[in-house]
Amino acid sequence: MILIQLVNGLMEGMTLFLIASGLTLIFGVTRIINFAHGSLFMLGAFVTYELVPLIGPGTLWGFFAAVLLAGLAVSLLGMLFEMLALRRIYGADGLMQLIVTVALVLILRDVVRMIWGPNSLSVPMPDRLMGALQIGDSYFPLFPIAVFLAGLVVVVAMIWVIYFTRAGILLRAGTDDRGMVALCGVNERLIFTAVFAAGAFLAGLAGGLAAPYGEVNHLLDTTVIVSAFIVCVIGGLGNLYGALAGALLVGLTKAIGVMYFPRLSMVLIFLIMALILIARSMGRQGGTAR
Amino acid sequence: MLEKTQGRRTAIAAAFLALTLGGGASAEGAAVKVGFAADLTGACAALAEDGLNGATLAAAELNDAGGILGRPVELIVRDTQTKPDEGAKVARELITDEAIDVLTGVCSSAVMLAESAVSKELKTPFYAAIGSTQRANIELFQPYFWQVQANATMEAYAAAEYVAKKADWKRISTLGSDYEWGHTSVAAFTERLKELHPDVEFADPIYAKVGETAMAPYITATLAQRPDAVYAPLFGPSLSAVLKQGQGFGFFQRSALVTLMTVDTLQSQGAAMPDDNVFGIARAPFFALEQTPEVTAFIDSYRAAFGEYPTDWAISAYDGLKFYAAAAEHAGTVEAEPLIAAVGEITYDGLRERGLRVRALDGQMNAPSYVGKASRVEGYAFPILTEVEKFDGAPLMPAEEFILKARAAAQ
Repeated sequence: MILIQLVNGLMEGMTLFLIASGLTLIFGVTRIINFAHGSLFMLGAFVTYELVPLIGPGTLWGFFAAVLLAGLAVSLLGMLFEMLALRRIYGADGLMQLIVTVALVLILRDVVRMIWGPNSLSVPMPDRLMGALQIGDSYFPLFPIAVFLAGLVVVVAMIWVIYFTRAGILLRAGTDDRGMVALCGVNERLIFTAVFAAGAFLAGLAGGLAAPYGEVNHLLDTTVIVSAFIVCVIGGLGNLYGALAGALLVGLTKAIGVMYFPRLSMVLIFLIMALILIARSMGRQGGTAR
Repeated sequence: MLEKTQGRRTAIAAAFLALTLGGGASAEGAAVKVGFAADLTGACAALAEDGLNGATLAAAELNDAGGILGRPVELIVRDTQTKPDEGAKVARELITDEAIDVLTGVCSSAVMLAESAVSKELKTPFYAAIGSTQRANIELFQPYFWQVQANATMEAYAAAEYVAKKADWKRISTLGSDYEWGHTSVAAFTERLKELHPDVEFADPIYAKVGETAMAPYITATLAQRPDAVYAPLFGPSLSAVLKQGQGFGFFQRSALVTLMTVDTLQSQGAAMPDDNVFGIARAPFFALEQTPEVTAFIDSYRAAFGEYPTDWAISAYDGLKFYAAAAEHAGTVEAEPLIAAVGEITYDGLRERGLRVRALDGQMNAPSYVGKASRVEGYAFPILTEVEKFDGAPLMPAEEFILKARAAAQ
């Protein structure tokens, strides 16, 4: 059983990472704490709900194509939001960020409710991922294993982009010293927009991937944003590897905790978070992929 | 903005109903005002909206038949945002500013208790048709309150009665939502099943955080107990997650699941519902009600007005308002004291059952519960319950000594 719980923990951790990575990426470069990240996740889930029946229903490729398109659609919206609203407040204080991003949370929630109503919706799983891998007496569910693998692909792609492409160099430079990057003649605004679009893409992707494994409703935004913040706090906001470690830690703690301390498994996560905050003390400087 | 949309939708529905049902005797005089303080946004939104639809239909029918005591019925709708303090605020506003005659609409337990406190303070009749915490009937009971559906304890008892009939379910696990409802349901279920079937073995209860959607670890832990059946007082996202994620663990080949399964849950599950071994507890499944002319007429007009099948919440809200009207007619007034006396006296034939009565001791109606097996049936786009057993309310209502003891302990 412990093996299955380890697998469960890893799989939940990967979903959490997909959500938290976008949040942390956006913060690392733009210093914006995007409260609307959960809303982008939710939107990804709803767009996937619409696309799945249209693109090769029931097939594996159809599902992943739908999720990818949902990610792109959300990314487009994120880009628009950055250009129309966020761009105007980079210089302003933290309170302004809070107001603008929370406003987006409220607007998106109402829009989603108007379009899809308050009832929960269900996204079908691709047929081939419905079952389980049965090894002896143990069952390993296929769908979350597929999500885990998809998550790994995203992690590898992110590392490649950040370390081995020009865009990645600019992004890391932008994290280190925005002013210097601008002085070198790089369009700083473009970097910000691109990063926000990428973060939104990750949120939309995560929403789409998670959609068939639970229900889709207009309250997903808040459910998700809290766990994403826990992960980011543990890993250090703006730190991509930290987010990965934090996400896996949260997933594993919960899965193992349920076995040994069923009453404490939730508290355990917050306890770890508190300990890390104390140990690391104040003023942790985040930085994307350093 | 939300409230506005909500108001507009209700207005459209009401106008539509007036058109389709209109033409009968029309009511005159000052309206009987029904304050509908409902959880229209937040976690309870979907249930509350169905409740509002049911009450809107009931009000339209009452008006068509001459209103209550010859006065038209008017629903005044407010959103509590599923927050107790907001619920208390709008309840107070409805009573003092709008001078409502009766308060209803609530879904969440916490909001329900907050509104009940206001009803007690301002001596205004208040009934629940969606929310079902038994604390409102037992520890925090107040004389202006009544409950028109089975409360949470009765529902857990009904589940125990059903499980006790399955001879081959010998080892039972419980997986509940980690708050008051989950805990009291597990306790009531365990207590009743032990009485009925002393040989049943119980594994340690497992609880999942409210709203938890990553249920895999809990499913694994539950199945490791090797149960024949799992009683799971879960709802909403956690329940969907168990139904979907359980399939990857062979849950429904290894164990039966007994859980809450109202029409809205059946609808939202759709194709994802496991093929076998899911048993649902419901409050008013329209397909399992005795198909009297009243019931079929109700289903037809509900579908015509709202374009969907009525959920359990729509039916209990409809029954609730019709019951109130019957009590007011019996009392000859909507004044609080005589009305409350009438609530305890009348017998009402509702959609769910004939001979519904409210017990004065705890304001509890002898409303039935239904348990059946989730199956796909030709003619419905969503799974329904089959082999449904109806459990009458009266034998499931907690005994008087139990209530008095619980009240004394709470003092």
